[in-house]
Amino acid sequence: MVNLKMNGLIISVEEGTTILEAAQFMGFPIPTLCHMEGLSPYGACRLCIVEVGEGVRSKLVTSCTSLVQEGMYVRTASSRVVKSRKMIVELLLATCPQSKVIQDIASEIGVRQQRFRQEHEDCIMCGLCVRMCEEQMMAKAIGFRGRGDHRSIGTPFNIKSEVCRLCGGCIYVCPACQLRCTYTEPDKAICGGCLNLTPPCLEKEKFDNMMCYMDPCVACEIKIK
Amino acid sequence: MVMPSLKSINEIKELKSRIKADRDTSIPTIVISAGTCGQASGANDLIRITKRELIANGLTNRIHLRITGCHGFCEMEPSVLIEPSRVFYPKVNTENMSKIIKSIYREEILEDLLFCDPESGKPIIRQDDIPFYKKQKRTLISTNEKIDPIRLFDFLETGGYDSFIKVLESTNPNWVVQEVKLSGLRGRGGGGFPTGTKWEMLAAQRNGKEKYLVCNADEGDPGAYMDRSLLEGNPHSIIEGMLIGAFATGATNGIVYVRNEYPLAIKHLIIALRVAREYGLLGDNILGTGFSFDINIVRGAGAFVCGEETALIKSVEGKMGEPRQRPPFPIEKGIYGKPTAINNVETWANIPLILKLGAKEYSKIGTPKNSGTKIFSLVGKVKNTGLVEVPMGITIKEIIFDIGGGAPGRAKIKAVQTGGPSGGCIPIEKFDLPIDYDSLSAAGSIMGSGGMIVMDERTCMVDVAKYFTNFLKDESCGKCFVCRKGTQRMHELLEDISMGLGTMEKLDLLEELALVVKDTSMCGLGQTAANPVLSTIKYYRKEYLEHINKKKCAAGVCRDLVGAPCQSACPIGTEAWRYIANIGVGEYEKAYYAIREANPFPSVCARVCSHPCEYMCRSGTSGGQPIAIRALKRFITDRIDPSTYIPVRDKDNRKSKLRVAIIGSGPAGLTAAHYLSLKGYKITVFEKDETPGGMLTSGIPSYRLPREVINKEIDALINKNISLKTNSVLGRDYTIDELFEQGYNSIFLAMGAHKSKLLNIEGEDLKGVFPAIEFLKKFNLHGKNLAKGRVSVIGGGDSAIDAARVSLRQKNVKSVTLLYRRTRQEMPALQHEIDAAIEEGIKLVTLVSPIKIYSENNRLSGVEFIKNKLGDIDPSGRRNPVPIPGSEEFMFFDTLIITIGDTPDVDYISSMNINVNKWGTLIVDEDTLQTNRDGVFAGGDVVTGPNTVVDAIAAGKKAAVMIDRYLMKEELKQTPEIRLPKVYVPPVEVSEEETKRVTLPTIPVEERKSSLNEVELTLSVKQATYEASRCMRCDLEFIHQQKDDKKLELIESEEIYHG
Repeated sequence: MVNLKMNGLIISVEEGTTILEAAQFMGFPIPTLCHMEGLSPYGACRLCIVEVGEGVRSKLVTSCTSLVQEGMYVRTASSRVVKSRKMIVELLLATCPQSKVIQDIASEIGVRQQRFRQEHEDCIMCGLCVRMCEEQMMAKAIGFRGRGDHRSIGTPFNIKSEVCRLCGGCIYVCPACQLRCTYTEPDKAICGGCLNLTPPCLEKEKFDNMMCYMDPCVACEIKIK
Repeated sequence: MVMPSLKSINEIKELKSRIKADRDTSIPTIVISAGTCGQASGANDLIRITKRELIANGLTNRIHLRITGCHGFCEMEPSVLIEPSRVFYPKVNTENMSKIIKSIYREEILEDLLFCDPESGKPIIRQDDIPFYKKQKRTLISTNEKIDPIRLFDFLETGGYDSFIKVLESTNPNWVVQEVKLSGLRGRGGGGFPTGTKWEMLAAQRNGKEKYLVCNADEGDPGAYMDRSLLEGNPHSIIEGMLIGAFATGATNGIVYVRNEYPLAIKHLIIALRVAREYGLLGDNILGTGFSFDINIVRGAGAFVCGEETALIKSVEGKMGEPRQRPPFPIEKGIYGKPTAINNVETWANIPLILKLGAKEYSKIGTPKNSGTKIFSLVGKVKNTGLVEVPMGITIKEIIFDIGGGAPGRAKIKAVQTGGPSGGCIPIEKFDLPIDYDSLSAAGSIMGSGGMIVMDERTCMVDVAKYFTNFLKDESCGKCFVCRKGTQRMHELLEDISMGLGTMEKLDLLEELALVVKDTSMCGLGQTAANPVLSTIKYYRKEYLEHINKKKCAAGVCRDLVGAPCQSACPIGTEAWRYIANIGVGEYEKAYYAIREANPFPSVCARVCSHPCEYMCRSGTSGGQPIAIRALKRFITDRIDPSTYIPVRDKDNRKSKLRVAIIGSGPAGLTAAHYLSLKGYKITVFEKDETPGGMLTSGIPSYRLPREVINKEIDALINKNISLKTNSVLGRDYTIDELFEQGYNSIFLAMGAHKSKLLNIEGEDLKGVFPAIEFLKKFNLHGKNLAKGRVSVIGGGDSAIDAARVSLRQKNVKSVTLLYRRTRQEMPALQHEIDAAIEEGIKLVTLVSPIKIYSENNRLSGVEFIKNKLGDIDPSGRRNPVPIPGSEEFMFFDTLIITIGDTPDVDYISSMNINVNKWGTLIVDEDTLQTNRDGVFAGGDVVTGPNTVVDAIAAGKKAAVMIDRYLMKEELKQTPEIRLPKVYVPPVEVSEEETKRVTLPTIPVEERKSSLNEVELTLSVKQATYEASRCMRCDLEFIHQQKDDKKLELIESEEIYHG
């Protein structure tokens, strides 16, 4: 058992627990986006940051990837953490405003507006779909390509994948397009509620005249930039 | 041919002594620096010529040729060094190479090909005496001179692999680790982590058999190439370092991760590894000791982020180079999960040195917590660019000024950027900082891998932040959302600011965002991505505010704010490009309009303007010579009569009932009077002297500005709305209150600065000693000759030059000497004026300051001076003169003219309730020119202190606008506009060749002293057309865009019409 101090409380958890798990166990709220139980932690969205340490030596780390250590001093909502989280949420809203998941996080944290130039993208590169495909479905059909500005998710060289089994897992976990749709090409994707379930990484046909029974999911309405 | 593999330590020792015995070091050797930069400059041609000539003349036994890697003095490449005499020839071309070869044969030194010291003007023979080399401590890079990197024997001869042998013989790995610890060596990649501690941790890893040692040669920082020169010039030193490291830590596999963009380094490394293996220095059972280690090369694939350790490890494993969170650290879990220690190239290069000197000796270099030397790549706006190796703890100032040689031209150095894109800018005020890991991070920058980019006043700091953010945005791996989006958004905000779309909110947002990016990113790239932004905002907030509030880029860089640099640099916004373009197509009248629209004193400025436009001219800043804009202006004003231009008049009846009083008829006062009168106001100009013109008539002599010219210009400005009252003195004849009582609605104070500052030394009030203003006024206005005999002038500004040249033209003057306390480069006077003075025979003595004035019979007899040397930098960016004790010198003089600055003569003004600051100038609001009294404005030298004519004209124009708004009860402050070129003038055909600036014609020197005729003559039509054709027409990029936009508009509207 490892003993550490969190938000003023001295707690004791099993070795190998992440700070996020410990906080969730104790009931301290920490927002997450790229974290999902069952998938390996990735640390991409930076929302789960907490302040570790004190004074000059304190730093912000992602709680989903950091393991607890003996004698650690953790604060899950210090002013530095809250300020950073708010800015991160502003950046998220500036990129992907239509996602309900992101909007919910924003209203919880108390961010009402964002000050950047508005973009309408539908992927925040959280990597959940990649990890789902690799770790849970053991297929590894999609992955990250490119660097920085040009980073995207898809199949190698955009070739139709031979290992994709059409499970729809990638579509299921995506937070940006809340309604289990698309991954990066909205106008070629279909809502998960329909019977013709075809992940866009496989087929590139257009689906006109679709009967859509789901609530308007913004995916069909977003134009490609 | 099979290489003899060395099977024991004794065998290699034997080989080394054989090599030493065979070599005759007295034979002269031509050493050609042929690293990548050398080859790019033409070293390969020199090598070819040398080989050919040595073979053709049968000299191969008498003169040797050594092709080496980079020596470091890249500015002077291709360079040739002669051993053992150490004669250094810089920038050798193919012609001179043959001459040099012959000179060695004849044992001569070619003086005119030697390096010339810019400070002393004398040639320097030996490389070690050149200031660039003298202050360096070249423990690592000097070996590059001594060896051909692809010859193992060269390396062995200079002591190569000695340290490795020592280490093997000790059979004590722990001792090696302790030695490295004691030496205090810190990682040279930028992190500064103690290398010995890292090795200790690696040695302590005992799970499993494999351990990795990595040499990080990714060197991604733009402008940094220290590692490249070490790898190209001395690859074996890295191999030796890694062998020692492997022995000490028990590592089994070595990897050199080198960026793919270094083909020469890779080539030399491959050769070195192959040779080392063949000789049994790498592989199994090295030298029969049972120790095994081999090194492989892994090439990068063009990602800056792979310089970061965890990303590098991923890249080596063949995966995408993405950093990961630490812990676990690479020491425990590195490549393929095995313990790995990663060190920078320079760190590895230091290892053999530490073992050679011993830890204690090594730690004496540098400072206690930062031992050893560091190689910096000194680039940017500095004279001597190249690689410099200095002990840690040396100050930035010493590197930039003593080694780097300071600024290459007139532009003053402003800041230095250290540590590449992850570093920050350090302003010139902090150049006393010692260079070490801790003090640089305390100042907001980092040491980084050693890049040092010097910046001057023509570098825009907003643009610098934008450039680095752009780089980091492209190079971010993209994994963490904050780094990826944060760098993108920071770049977006900086782009907005540099295009004139900035607001204060955006600046605040930028700072906030930068702090969050710094705090929350996972790896070093993101954590330091905010440094360029935060450090430039911290030290140069003023520039950001100028971009945002004034829509101005003073450095002349941000394209959308500057437009054409000549126009943007001009205080009155003259469209210089327009009149130059019109001269090019022969439209002289249109050219005159372009000048006169902005400037009411075109003929005056055409002669005496300080031409800030030429300073910013792109032809000049891009490496050529600036256009002679002022001379072209003169060409036009000499041909076109002022009456051709009819100014636009306002027809507002309300204005004709209002009266404005203007105190002072210098350029500021007359300009304000003229523009206000065009609006309809009734102006009275009160002038203290008998004639109008201010400094134009009393200060500037007629051989620069003929009386007829200034009088004609003033006459053209005065119209029926202006009445001029001469011999009227504020304070003596009237007060400000009285003016308001007399019915004036507003007052503009433009009295100028006509009181000389005193030196405050003994004897200043003696006969024969004159303040320059008094001296010039008496001569220009009353024709009195006050100078006689041996004349001396103390000062370095334009007044000093005027006083000196006027003295020369007076009867009974035997000699004129000009004395200045700093060097010629720092003199504020116009360069061509100083040239003209020296041409006319005036003696210039620099680096002297006066201490005491001596008298005889109540009259001046001479002055005692003390010599100076240049010391630390003062806030103006210039080096302070520091007196050298014991260097006093006495000079005999009959006349002494002092001009060290002027101040306004406004002792009486506070009694009129106008606020004056501690320097004696009037206090006004910067944006509205209002004083503290309602309705009273002030501008020109009386506010700024002595300044240029064109600045005074600008103040007059601004005052006219402000007074007009005040009288019409409008808001005074309004948002500034960006003025981009709008008028299209077709370009002329230019030649492809590089063109030289036209020489300005003058009357011969002999004719000048005997008359006051104007010295400078007008350009001929041929000269003017030639010079105008040299203009790069920076305005055309904006006009064509407009033309295209117009076209687009038309096309679009047509589409709508056709449906």
